[in-house]
Amino acid sequence: MTSSFDGPVLDVRNLRVAYGGDGRSVLGADDVSFSIGPGEVFGLAGESGCGKSTVANAIMRLLKPPAVITGSVSFKGRDVLAMDPRELRAFRWREIAMVFQSAMNSLNPVLTVGEQIGDIFTTHEKLKKRHARARSGELLELVGIDPARLKSYPHQLSGGMRQRVVIAMAVALKPSLLIMDEPTTALDVVVQQEIMAQIGDLRRELGFSVLFITHDMSLMIELSHRMGVMYGGRLVELAPAKALFAEPLHPYTQALMGAFPPLTGPRVHLSGLSDAPRTAGGCGFHAVCPDDRSDCSHHIPDLREVAEGRFVARTAGGPR
Amino acid sequence: MTPQAPATTATRPPVMSVRGLTKDFTSGGLFSRARHRALNAVDLDIPHGRIVALVGESGSGKSTLARCLARLEQPTRGEIRLDGQDVLRTQKRGASRAYRGAVQMVFQDPFGSLNPVHRVEHFLRRPLLLHGKPAQESDLRALMTTVGLDADMLQSYPHELSGGQRQRVAVARALAVDPRLVLADEPTSMLDVSVRVGILNLMRRLRDERSISMLYITHDLASARYVADTIQVLFAGELVEGGDSLALMDRPAHPYTQLLLSAVPDPERTEPYDPVRRAALRAAVLTPESCPYTAEGTCSRTTPVRHVIGEDDGEPHWVRCHLYAPATPTARRVLTAAVPETENG
Repeated sequence: MTSSFDGPVLDVRNLRVAYGGDGRSVLGADDVSFSIGPGEVFGLAGESGCGKSTVANAIMRLLKPPAVITGSVSFKGRDVLAMDPRELRAFRWREIAMVFQSAMNSLNPVLTVGEQIGDIFTTHEKLKKRHARARSGELLELVGIDPARLKSYPHQLSGGMRQRVVIAMAVALKPSLLIMDEPTTALDVVVQQEIMAQIGDLRRELGFSVLFITHDMSLMIELSHRMGVMYGGRLVELAPAKALFAEPLHPYTQALMGAFPPLTGPRVHLSGLSDAPRTAGGCGFHAVCPDDRSDCSHHIPDLREVAEGRFVARTAGGPR
Repeated sequence: MTPQAPATTATRPPVMSVRGLTKDFTSGGLFSRARHRALNAVDLDIPHGRIVALVGESGSGKSTLARCLARLEQPTRGEIRLDGQDVLRTQKRGASRAYRGAVQMVFQDPFGSLNPVHRVEHFLRRPLLLHGKPAQESDLRALMTTVGLDADMLQSYPHELSGGQRQRVAVARALAVDPRLVLADEPTSMLDVSVRVGILNLMRRLRDERSISMLYITHDLASARYVADTIQVLFAGELVEGGDSLALMDRPAHPYTQLLLSAVPDPERTEPYDPVRRAALRAAVLTPESCPYTAEGTCSRTTPVRHVIGEDDGEPHWVRCHLYAPATPTARRVLTAAVPETENG
């Protein structure tokens, strides 16, 4: 936030991650491009194994060989993929912080919450222990937890409180971008709602952007400004969240939305996601595509802009 | 307090009916015994051939109820009637084999509920042999087909299957002994979205084709509405509202049900849920003394009884809340954020 850079906070171009191995390699992400503006919440949706977490890990430089990363990731104009270990240490947490999928388990069970939060300040800000403790208390208050809880061990907190502690730790150094990988998957709806509202408040207060990863389409549409849908390592649709909800264009997006039972209206029969497997020979969805875009039977095509701000993976134009 | 027995729509008597089921857990050492009441006087009927959803947040006692019904926990008090017979009285020292055959459970975690060293075949053959049923290859294949799995997977190990396939195996295992009631404890919460609907559809199909009754335990209200005929809401160990699933979700009456429903992400909702209203609901739920909806904390003085506030498809919609007492002039009231006028206390 301190920088005067006024482009997108994060710009990912043609990101490609290949997990290599004994003579064969698997594409975790293939030619993924998107950008996140200041203060924006960008969502990445898709089922397990579609490459959502691979993208997040690549942005954080958490992938090690045999993963091969190509393309570019620039954060406020700096090339993330070219950073050396010392730069990375300063960059992580201070610039981009991450809340992991199993945040519930990412706290160390043998250290108190206070010790773990204090670590951030003593390591990154070189604060004295006493000051670090004071800052940690303020941080807990920020997420609505009594600072007396600094003395608690993780197992003494409920799942929702542990998640809040992890979120508080992530925003401790006021990063410009927060990556959240399925932050509420293990929580029940009431706690999920409270945590997401809290993240919204923090975002308004501290002004960071969010890369939000989940498979829960309803939650994502409600919370994010723009979103991308991933399938088989590729982005198949990129659009403002509300527009995507109103009119999903890619058949996979439609299928994904059809996997969630509605809360209102008559009881309908859902078919869920089609079981058509993705093979080397096709994306698995070309069979259900309209005629005008059936040319993608051999690969998932690149995104093309079909309307203002709306991108969908298909080869030909068509009406929309 | 005499709770009215929930009426059933089916002409046949309910498969299972539960009356006054109470479960206390004790904690602490020998001299400092702390008691925690996980279930308090639960009355529940599971009609023949229907799916009943039990919803509530973590810690509300959903799983404890299922474990009591499966006789994995010994209830402190109450009756569990299977076909009119009180099994807690007649089978004091644990469930009989017949009971275990009639009531089967599907657990939440398909990764933990199948022993990794056995093939799929083993999980299906074992219950058949234990219950003295024919366990020919053809019987196993028929079971696999019922749950929508390829019969060739009988020779696979659990690690070779996806989460959705494993959960189907767990369902097939439960079905093997021809149960009348299946207790499904959050069967989809560990699964990926892409396979969740498949499991829900399987449950609906089993109900329709084989008339199996089910208790579907979940905190996902949308899926409860999709799969279940009726929904029962459990809050802090007590059932607070129940009724036809569509009607209950359209017109939730109890503050807790409204709170739960307001927390479900819904893209159709145009604006975020009013935080003031949420806070009022939360307060009403957590401390009955400060419930802004009733005058002078009626809930803390007398326990509310069931009031029937509507009927859909012959299924009464009932709620335990003083606001809906028959004396009030309006049969149904909409709870609003503002403190309502006080009428007849």
